[in-house]
Amino acid sequence: MTGTPLIHCQGLIKRYGRTTAIDNLNLELYAGEPIALIGPNGAGKTTLLSLLCGFIRPNGGQAQVLGHNVGSKALNGLLAALPQDALLDPRRSVVRQLREFSRLQGFQGTDAVREVDRVLDIVDLSDAASMKPDTLSHGMRKRIALAQALIGSPALVLLDEPTAGIDPPNVRIIRDLIRQQSSHMTFVISSHNLDELEKLCGTVVYLEKGKLLRSGALVQGDDSPLLTLRLGDVPADRFLSMSLTLPGIIKVRQQVQGDWLLEVSNEASAAVAIMQLLERENWPFKSLTRGRSLEEQLYG
Amino acid sequence: MKLITLARAEIEKLLASRRGMLSLLAFVLVWLLVLRYAIAPAAKMLGTGDDDGLVEFLLSQLGLEALTSWPAPQLAIYWVIGLYMLPLFAVVTAADQMASDRSRGTLRYLIMRASRLEIFFGRFFGHAFIQLLMVLVTLASVLIFIAVDTPDRLSDSLSRSLMVVLNIWLVLLPYVALMAWVSVIARSPRQATTLAIIVWIVVSLLIGWVQAKYGPMPWLDWTLPGSQVSALLRLSDWKTLDLALIPVLHTVVLLGIGAVTMARRDL
Repeated sequence: MTGTPLIHCQGLIKRYGRTTAIDNLNLELYAGEPIALIGPNGAGKTTLLSLLCGFIRPNGGQAQVLGHNVGSKALNGLLAALPQDALLDPRRSVVRQLREFSRLQGFQGTDAVREVDRVLDIVDLSDAASMKPDTLSHGMRKRIALAQALIGSPALVLLDEPTAGIDPPNVRIIRDLIRQQSSHMTFVISSHNLDELEKLCGTVVYLEKGKLLRSGALVQGDDSPLLTLRLGDVPADRFLSMSLTLPGIIKVRQQVQGDWLLEVSNEASAAVAIMQLLERENWPFKSLTRGRSLEEQLYG
Repeated sequence: MKLITLARAEIEKLLASRRGMLSLLAFVLVWLLVLRYAIAPAAKMLGTGDDDGLVEFLLSQLGLEALTSWPAPQLAIYWVIGLYMLPLFAVVTAADQMASDRSRGTLRYLIMRASRLEIFFGRFFGHAFIQLLMVLVTLASVLIFIAVDTPDRLSDSLSRSLMVVLNIWLVLLPYVALMAWVSVIARSPRQATTLAIIVWIVVSLLIGWVQAKYGPMPWLDWTLPGSQVSALLRLSDWKTLDLALIPVLHTVVLLGIGAVTMARRDL
């Protein structure tokens, strides 16, 4: 990668008392497809996002966002975030607070009004503008929080657990929004929902105990191409024996969670052969994807 | 510009929210009680002079004979009550400059758009303006009282009003600055008020201990906000501004401590 990285961390350290939440982290991320930030509880994901947003101060090292030091005034309007548990002021209506945010980002008069109308329209909550935040459902509050992050179309948006605890329709709305907006801004999404991240992200950053374990493209270049097949109710022994006779299939093994991992010589021709087998035997299938699932890559 | 936006939001919270209006209503009701049951009878006692000079004697014993030279007794009593009572209101109304927003995470939305110091000072200015409004509203109520009760004294009282507003507002500013600082540390307005009381007691004890150990240091007696109020009551008219530097210094020092705390604190 060339050019100014979106995020550049060098030797970044954050401690809470005796606990090291971020441990000498070196990281470089560039603009493009959404970036997944994953790791188990306590891995340091929220701490890292909080450091990048300037909510908390590092104990060592440095972090830059879009070429500017974290906390720099130059980042106002360029960097936005949906902090995990942050709530809007319950005393003031949504629209009043969003207009305050837009004025702080430099929008004046009717421009501030228009910008707030625009972002509320994006999240499909124009009707909720005059409501107080505590009268909204959890899913609607998340969408409003996403709307505030979209004010001024920032270059980088950090989302901390954007879909945690919300119902499937709202999850879908948020996912579609991120997909639509990612053509002109880069999202970094911290989440435990690997399926969700797999659908959205092109790059993955994996943290554990405050250290970077992995950073790179979501679909990894394995030695041999791989397919992941999720089947319905199919006799495992018969599928295994019959699939191994198909052209282009080198190796077949079943994962712990039930998915089949197929090592193939050519992904396209092997996929066609597998589909023909399923049709012939009238076996139901749920999905066929290139490479390993994110869960398989991380924990397989 | 950001400072104005942030200050405006604080005023809006008071005037355009149900909770803010309720607080305002409570304040107005308490103030009406003060007006009816404290200012009115005290002013009557001070104004009628049918006590055989007892009031004047007591005031001179207390060094407060300056109060007898005020154009209207109602204004003189307002001056005393305002200087001692409005700081209590200021502590309560300014207690939530940061605390709730910090514990709720609302500050995180602001920090992406304004610096920590802009947020800190913007909110302070907003609350300083609210205190000015409170002084104006309470003074207006007293002026209406004078206009109804003793209309011939209204014009002289009006000419003294600017001095009264300026002085009481200056007295209130260090309390607003103190609450700005402690509300950065606290997680709720109640905790902020408790912290302010603790700071007050600790500093008072410290002043007493230092003077007991190292001998009298008169300048130390000016350390706490409001320490000039008793001296202020002995002065009259624009001479009262001779002491204006003290609350200004208190405000600057407390804002400095608050700004450093805000700049360093995890939000």
